[in-house]
Amino acid sequence: MSETGVIHDIGYQRYTGPRLGRGAAINALYVQGLRAAFGLGRSAKAKIFPWLVAAITLLVAVIIAAVKSQIPDFDFGYVDFDDTLSWLIIFFVAILSPALVSRDIRSGTLPLYFSRPLRAADYVIAKFLAMVTAVWLLLGVPQFIMFLGAAFTTKKGMSGVWNEVQDLVPGWTYSLLWALLFTSIGLLVASLTGKQAFAAGGIVAVFLMTTPVVGVLSVLPSSAANHMAGLASPMTLISGVGAWALGSDIGLDLGRYGPIYGIEAFCLIAACLLLLLARYRKVAAL
Amino acid sequence: MSTVAMITARGLFGRRRALMLLPLPLLLIGLAAICRAYDLEPTQWGAAVIVGLGFAVVLPVVALIVGTGVLGSEVDDGTLVHILTKPLPRRDIILAKFLVAVVATAVTTTIPLFVAGLLAGSARLGAALAVAALVGSLAYTALFLLLSLLTRRPVLLGLVYILIWEGLLGRWVSGTRVLSIEQYVIAIADKIEPTTLLDAKLGVATAAVMSAIFVVVCTVVAINRLGSFSLAGETS
Repeated sequence: MSETGVIHDIGYQRYTGPRLGRGAAINALYVQGLRAAFGLGRSAKAKIFPWLVAAITLLVAVIIAAVKSQIPDFDFGYVDFDDTLSWLIIFFVAILSPALVSRDIRSGTLPLYFSRPLRAADYVIAKFLAMVTAVWLLLGVPQFIMFLGAAFTTKKGMSGVWNEVQDLVPGWTYSLLWALLFTSIGLLVASLTGKQAFAAGGIVAVFLMTTPVVGVLSVLPSSAANHMAGLASPMTLISGVGAWALGSDIGLDLGRYGPIYGIEAFCLIAACLLLLLARYRKVAAL
Repeated sequence: MSTVAMITARGLFGRRRALMLLPLPLLLIGLAAICRAYDLEPTQWGAAVIVGLGFAVVLPVVALIVGTGVLGSEVDDGTLVHILTKPLPRRDIILAKFLVAVVATAVTTTIPLFVAGLLAGSARLGAALAVAALVGSLAYTALFLLLSLLTRRPVLLGLVYILIWEGLLGRWVSGTRVLSIEQYVIAIADKIEPTTLLDAKLGVATAAVMSAIFVVVCTVVAINRLGSFSLAGETS
């Protein structure tokens, strides 16, 4: 029998290094989210779909830049680019938001995240910013390629380049609007389920099922309903905001309801973010 | 086999999951009812609601969620092992799951399309749309069930088929229509009840034969595939 009351020192030590706190946690989550969006640091299979979409958008941009340099009258602005690729953006959002949000629910990492100094709002903000950046890059980089194509082939010297810059900045703003609205809706839908398959299907269903509503509202026998038809679907909502704020030309007659489009876009983004915050107030360990 | 079907049905509809399938059909009926209430001409809204929403969105998306869900969720959860270790032919497993998926998809899509057709024209039109939707459910479900065995990301691949193959290419490149289930469905509905609302781009014989080929080939390949199915570890 050994002596009683001996506590062995098995070498536990306190952590004495620097503690990075919330800011660093948000930053880490943001960088991880942005990398995961394009499959960096994940398996080759995870890279297929994001890069497929990115490759298509880049290809379209290169083709447009080439055509534009040959035919100066070819009218295809930076804003038209976003509208044309709206189906690809839906697909991209349906890939990204489950990968960013649903995976955390499914693999049970959420309780681990929230055992850090991270708060629910920080988590939502980091994921939201990461995805906004990813979607914006998906649209902004091809637009920049179109800009480069136009700027290098302009025949008016610096004033031609300056004109292109003045076209590019609204185009980038418009892309940011797409990114903000689609990200907020996509993340909200994806945060409700841990199954990536259901989340992707749900996001596509939400975006696609609203489009025919616009078609029906625009044939109703009421001019107010016709002008406000675009409010029913995220895609036409953004087009409407673009037509109102940036003066771009779309096939939708807004009448005098332009500001309503702006207000709804803002409220929709805010509401989705608030709902996301409410969703993450309580996190169950699944 | 009936036990497998029961487990599948419970996995599909258990708890609140059945509610996820409700909004799409309800929207379809609601839109048709609104248009009808305003006494609009069916030529103005029929194509947008029946083809634009019904055949292009509700049918494929419901079939995608259900078709990939019946087998894909078991692969994801790892519960497929329990079924595979039972002394059941793999054929019976696939057929039972396929049957449940088809019934679920058909019920969710034929009823709203019948109502929409009834509101847009006559009961005959509604019946034609319902029959076409049934054929569509068979073909789509068989395809998506196979996808859930071929890849770990069946939903994304299915979305590529719906959004890019049928949605983008099917509209402009005429050659892709031969492999587009949406076009089969439209052709069949148009043949049963010729109407101006539907714009069939394929012959009905092609549509019927190709739908049958889709169902048979996809099911046979799926059975074959499950015969040598190996469960991979968790991939990211």
